[in-house]
Amino acid sequence: MSLAPTVDPTTVADEALATDPGWVTLVWNDPVNLMSYVTYVFMTYFGYPRGKAEKLMMDVHVKGKAAVSHGSREEMEVDTVAMQGYGLWATFEKDG
Amino acid sequence: MATGFRRSRGAWVAQLDRTERALIVGLMEQTRGLLAPHLVADGPEPQDEFEALVASLREPVGLADAPRDPALERLLPTGHRGDPETAAEFRRLTEEDLRTHKSACLDTAMALIRGARGDKVRVAPEQSQAMLVAINDVRLLLGERLGLRNDDDAALLDAYLASAGDDDPAAYAVAVYDFLGWLQESLVQAMLR
Repeated sequence: MSLAPTVDPTTVADEALATDPGWVTLVWNDPVNLMSYVTYVFMTYFGYPRGKAEKLMMDVHVKGKAAVSHGSREEMEVDTVAMQGYGLWATFEKDG
Repeated sequence: MATGFRRSRGAWVAQLDRTERALIVGLMEQTRGLLAPHLVADGPEPQDEFEALVASLREPVGLADAPRDPALERLLPTGHRGDPETAAEFRRLTEEDLRTHKSACLDTAMALIRGARGDKVRVAPEQSQAMLVAINDVRLLLGERLGLRNDDDAALLDAYLASAGDDDPAAYAVAVYDFLGWLQESLVQAMLR
């Protein structure tokens, strides 16, 4: 999966300390958030096309969680708080 | 009779009567009070109907084994599972902004609903996200109070309601929860179209 489009690659390259890309933002399944709303959030915040947003939403729904963005820890913290702002159940962690 | 959001002249418009608007605004006030008690503005006193609803929701209803009042934790969840130190640091850095953001969304939504004209609530494109977040946060609060934490809980709640009396507070709360879900769905669908 690619970096979130909100990330400027040149900025990441400049900040050597923040370049460890091995972090992910996870969104966890919950019974309250509407499937359509979760899709809307992935499209609106990450700029993902509808197909990709719907696939991620289904992964959350069926598998219990999905990695919705990959990048440095700082970037994942930004994405996590953004997802939480929308009311999604998001966390960040080291990948793998 | 409520009508969900539909596109109308560059905005989204729903038709909600006075009782429905008062109910939603009252619940948004309560959600805001939970999120940001230090930011609560003086507003009109809530009417009896939702005062009773909110009072009934102070303790979890529906499922007997629901933990005690975790709604704030659901609105402001942990950012890291497995490392309490990382989670605490993340919370320290982000929680105040999150509270402010959610409160602002609730304020925007309440202003739009209070500003309804002829029962029509009009949401401009730049306000639509705040409306979605505000309705969603009220649903998260209600869902938590109803003990909805995973998909199995929804089925358990249905089973509970099937045997519950009409005067069970959970029955009214579920009706309101479903109504808000329907309203939110109508706005999302109208925006995705």
